[in-house]
Amino acid sequence: MDHTPQPGPALPPPLGEHLRSPQLRAAMLVQQEALQAARDHLRREGFTELLPPLVGPVTDPGGRGAKALDVDYYGRPYKLMTSAILYKQASLHGFPKLFYIAPNVRVEPEETATTGRHLVEFHQIDVEMAGARREDVQEIAAGLLTHVAEHVWSAVPDILTGLGRLEADFADIRSGKYDVCTHQEAISRLLAIGHPQSPDSEIDWTGERLLSLESDRPFFVNDYPKGSRGFYDREDPERPGVLRNFDLIAPHGYGELVSGSERESDYATIVTRMRESGENPAKYAWYLKEAREGIPASAGFGMGLQRLVRFLTGLDSLWQVSAYPKLPGVVAP
Amino acid sequence: MSALTAPGFPERQIRARARRGTAEVFPAAGSYGAELFGPGAGDRADALDRARIAPPVFMPERLEKLIELAREPESGDVDLTTRTGGFGASLPLYLSAFGSTRAGSGDLAVHASRQAGRLGIPMVIGENMVPVHGYRRGGEATRSALLDRIDAYLEAAPEGVGGIVVQQSTEDADSEVWNLLYSDPATRPLLESGRLAFELKTGQGAKPGLGGMTVVAGAEAEQLAGRFTVTEVFGADDDRRLRCATPGTFTDEILRQQLRFMRNNFPKARTWVKFHPGRDIGDAARTAWAAGADAVTVDGAEGGTGWAPRVFLDQVGLPLAECLRRIGRPEGCLLASGGMWEGGRAVRALALGARAVGLGRAALVAVDEDPEHGLERLVESVALELRLLIGALGKYTVTALGPEDLWWPDSPDAGSSPLGSAQPAVGAAP
Repeated sequence: MDHTPQPGPALPPPLGEHLRSPQLRAAMLVQQEALQAARDHLRREGFTELLPPLVGPVTDPGGRGAKALDVDYYGRPYKLMTSAILYKQASLHGFPKLFYIAPNVRVEPEETATTGRHLVEFHQIDVEMAGARREDVQEIAAGLLTHVAEHVWSAVPDILTGLGRLEADFADIRSGKYDVCTHQEAISRLLAIGHPQSPDSEIDWTGERLLSLESDRPFFVNDYPKGSRGFYDREDPERPGVLRNFDLIAPHGYGELVSGSERESDYATIVTRMRESGENPAKYAWYLKEAREGIPASAGFGMGLQRLVRFLTGLDSLWQVSAYPKLPGVVAP
Repeated sequence: MSALTAPGFPERQIRARARRGTAEVFPAAGSYGAELFGPGAGDRADALDRARIAPPVFMPERLEKLIELAREPESGDVDLTTRTGGFGASLPLYLSAFGSTRAGSGDLAVHASRQAGRLGIPMVIGENMVPVHGYRRGGEATRSALLDRIDAYLEAAPEGVGGIVVQQSTEDADSEVWNLLYSDPATRPLLESGRLAFELKTGQGAKPGLGGMTVVAGAEAEQLAGRFTVTEVFGADDDRRLRCATPGTFTDEILRQQLRFMRNNFPKARTWVKFHPGRDIGDAARTAWAAGADAVTVDGAEGGTGWAPRVFLDQVGLPLAECLRRIGRPEGCLLASGGMWEGGRAVRALALGARAVGLGRAALVAVDEDPEHGLERLVESVALELRLLIGALGKYTVTALGPEDLWWPDSPDAGSSPLGSAQPAVGAAP
């Protein structure tokens, strides 16, 4: 069977029609099972659920052209959260193992409208763990994905088969067999198949899809280069220029599900890394105050909820698994 | 005033300081917005101007051209088109950034943009435009100075040449200027035609080591105080304030990583970087090229249109000639600015390795003289001089110029170029 998500309709229908569609209903039933399973799993692993902030003086500076929306907050320019990563780190003081089901708003560049994997409004399962290393949270992420797939297949098999999914599609996920490669190896594979990919950048959308299509099981990509990710991803002290981070890529063309890393917790290094990413440290005043006083070392990740549901349902585009989809560059209610 | 005098001492300036204190550190606040600053170029030639352009007697490259044309080459046969920072350009010129000063961000800048578009030369839009003037709030009715300039340029620009370069400084980063532009449907034509670049600005010729400065009054000062340092240098009784931006902190690693971030986050935009005339300009330029910059601009101490302390205008920063000497043979596309206004100085900078030269103050003066065609006429005059000079050197492309085309009366043996090489410079990679 061809597992590849096939190009579907590029744009969602009018909102009312979309909300009435049986396909969306099926996707939402899968989503609620996935959320339930994720919460159960993380709580069993000792994580506490917090609710994330929605606005702040600063948010994740983002990457690849995605920008934050400004809001006027008592006359001050605040941002809608593109990711609550900085709050996750600060929260470690009282909650050494925590997670959010976090809403995010990222005004992605229009070129992402057709990737099938980008929405302006989306949620992520945001996990952070004090004292953890990359390998620890990779294990948590893999366990989470395995558990969610197991639960959903057991809870709503009829819905999944109704969407065209087969039990065999989940075999590798449920068995927990995940591969690992480095960013450098991923780049070499792309160059070998003729895809032009800069070795010191993030893997581009097409490259990521090609890697995902080549694989039958989920795999981690480790060690992204500095300059491709945020200032909070920790640089490997043994290998300058290499970050202690990772992505988890789903097989069969579904692409990235998770981004995570060990976090930088040294104050002077954080300020320097901010400058390296062109940021003005002054705008991160509250976060830097926390960092100066000592933010616990940690590792964590964010798993895209809609990407997870799209992968589980086998649907083509993220808008098909979002009740109120907003595609990049498309003005929608 | 007493009868005391101090012959040979700058008595007038000292007395002025005694009367007006910190206000005397700067040019008169009343001249802000009406006067362009920078050391005078006409009345005291700098090192670059002192070099003479020295045609040879024997001209093998003219012979090559003669063979190609089957007739004697003329100055009109000189090809002035070039690749400037990843853009095609009809001339080895570009419009320099004016910054957010009143003189540089009003109607004159829009007129200059339109004419630069018509001429098919790249245009750089300065830092701090968005934090000071806004971007777009509540629809088209409140369009910013930045978008007005882009529109004026795009409406006039022919297909396939030119491009728009937008700077972002530390305070601009708070406003996410590059992000705003990159995802704005209005800039889609620029991205799709490969004619958008972002320029990382580390400083400027007029005030190396300082950030942008403008004079603001009353309510505007209060509004800007949250994002900039606003000081009372003109005296507590004066309503006017000095608004200062920060220059940003750079190390080689910070520069390298910022350029990488730009390429990673805005893959469809070209990556430019502008340096002030720092003493390590050679290292800085090489670091930027190695990190993938499409263009490196060096702004000599003669550059700048903006407000600056007098001591910086007169005493700080390396002259452009020395910057070009320290850079040596460029490893990538090098652009030069600083007191450019006629063909001779431009040819000298091109001979020392620049791919194109920037017009700043001269462009503003030209559009002030004639808002409709002043810049075009200025550029046409420079282009004619370039053709005459390059043809006289027996060369027919911009990149054929080299240090052997100049003679330096100040150099110890007065027979070699300041680059220390009698070999012709090889044109930098496109």
